[in-house]
Amino acid sequence: MIQTLTYRKTKYQNLVLGLMGIALASVSVLSLSIGAFHIPISHVLGILADTLGLGFIDYSQQEYNVLLQIRLPRIMMAVLVGGGLGVTGAALQGLFRNPLVEPGLIGISSGGALFAVVFIVFGSSLPFLGYFGGIGLPLFAFLGGLINTLLVYKMGSTTGKTDISLLILAGVALNALSGALIGLVIFYADDAALRNFTFWSLGDVGGANWSKVGISFLLISGPVMLVLSQFKNLNALSIGENEAFHMGVDVQKVKYILLFSSAMIVGTAVAFTGTIGFVGLIVPHLIRMMFGADHRLVLPGSLLLGAFLLTFADLLARTIVMPSEMPIGIITAIIGAPFFIWLIINVKKIRS
Amino acid sequence: MLQAQDIHFCIRSMPIINKASISLAPGELTVILGPNGAGKSTLFKVLAGEIPCKYGKVVYNGFPISGFSAKNLALVRAVMPQHSSLSFPFKALEVVELGLLASGNSYRPDLVEEVMEETQTLHLKEKLYGDLSGGEKQRVQLARVLTQIWDKKPFSRYLLLDEPTSSMDIALQHHVLRIIHKIKKRNIGVLAILHDLNLAANYADKIILLKKGSIIHQGPVNEVMTSAQLEQVFEHPIQVFSGSDKNPMIIQSIPFIQNHLEIKLA
Repeated sequence: MIQTLTYRKTKYQNLVLGLMGIALASVSVLSLSIGAFHIPISHVLGILADTLGLGFIDYSQQEYNVLLQIRLPRIMMAVLVGGGLGVTGAALQGLFRNPLVEPGLIGISSGGALFAVVFIVFGSSLPFLGYFGGIGLPLFAFLGGLINTLLVYKMGSTTGKTDISLLILAGVALNALSGALIGLVIFYADDAALRNFTFWSLGDVGGANWSKVGISFLLISGPVMLVLSQFKNLNALSIGENEAFHMGVDVQKVKYILLFSSAMIVGTAVAFTGTIGFVGLIVPHLIRMMFGADHRLVLPGSLLLGAFLLTFADLLARTIVMPSEMPIGIITAIIGAPFFIWLIINVKKIRS
Repeated sequence: MLQAQDIHFCIRSMPIINKASISLAPGELTVILGPNGAGKSTLFKVLAGEIPCKYGKVVYNGFPISGFSAKNLALVRAVMPQHSSLSFPFKALEVVELGLLASGNSYRPDLVEEVMEETQTLHLKEKLYGDLSGGEKQRVQLARVLTQIWDKKPFSRYLLLDEPTSSMDIALQHHVLRIIHKIKKRNIGVLAILHDLNLAANYADKIILLKKGSIIHQGPVNEVMTSAQLEQVFEHPIQVFSGSDKNPMIIQSIPFIQNHLEIKLA
């Protein structure tokens, strides 16, 4: 009797995901240790153990403060945002049935950025926005991301099928419009906001603190779980929307779940770390090249690999121009853009 | 029983399907024949539940299609479209296993193996779908839709096929129609769009002749597939040699050259 792939895959899926989890943990510990202020790995582990009540090693108070107040929230932010972007990329590629889709490319990020900038610049002068507190910014960014997602989807699809050239053009148009409107808002901003914005527009996880990490975790983890639960439906969708319906998928419902979740994840990410491109594009590809196209593995794999890549990129951003810092978006773009070019050249082979 | 009553479907007030009524019993193969643009695919989509009809209704086993959830509908009927392309590199076996989605149980190696054996696709299971030939792809898709309704159930199931043999060589075409003939016994009714009149004549139980959105004739093969009625629908001279127990029915379209039409045109 043949073993179904499902059976074989679940067995080695756990192995693959376990190994990726270990890789993520390792790079996180490494990243906690390395930086302008060096903390030996043994001290890192000691401090982490101590916060759990298992102190076994001596460390300085300074090390403790740097680790828990600066580095740990920053790395947790990188893990959350990287994982979120990775899984969103996988979900959107599956939904649009196209391997070239990415949240930044089709305008979700810029929509989120526009609304975030509006909130940052006008937030203080419009008192009703103040009611939202710390959660207002990500929710606003979510709204902007959602509007652009729905617009791109409407513009890019004809009778249930998405036309990739239309989709990319719609993304270009919305990116241009959002960019222009951001420029307009910036025009009315003061110098301090301007400098802040420049760094933020290139992507930056450096501003993370515990309250931002907490809010991000609240807003990102739910949608991520929702997306992960859709693996069977995404598999069915890769044959086509009509075919998925024939096989018993409520296509409309799945679409809304995925679009809302994606906008929520990307909106939150954009609100706190700016626009970080290419993670959502590269990560699902690497997973597919290594482990095949089944979303059972592509979705959680993209979550872990996205987290790994962004943590690693953050480590680079903090160390290559030490003691200064490079915006993380530059690192991801320098790695990501050539990959994108390679992808375009090879897209025929990949799409099979 | 799959029934369609007075279905009517318009695009910009042009009727594509005009008051069509059909009924498909389990254990029966009904073939839809008709020239290009007759509305075959539209009728097919209305029956599959893909597009709703404005007037009339489609009823599966006594229940109107509008009351089915996508999932429940998938347990009652499977649909094989003309072409399916995959956006990601899935293996043939993964494609077939997608047919298990509605059942909610993806651990069915016995079922998947039986279906792939039947459709002669077992040797393709580890290959990437995108690397297969046109005929192989169609067989893998056939295996997928058969997987969806293979299990015996207390209710009748239906299989809708849109030109399932269009990319196949002669031997494979007959092989596929033999599979269809066999699965009818599993309390399954099959509705297929075919282009090959001979395949239709020799495998179908009933024929539906469709032209310009209207059903011109429908009924048992012997009654419907007559030279006069086929010529009326296809607007081309057609000869029918009725078969016997030993000989298959043969349907021949007459070449223009033989009619000296070409000479006349010159």
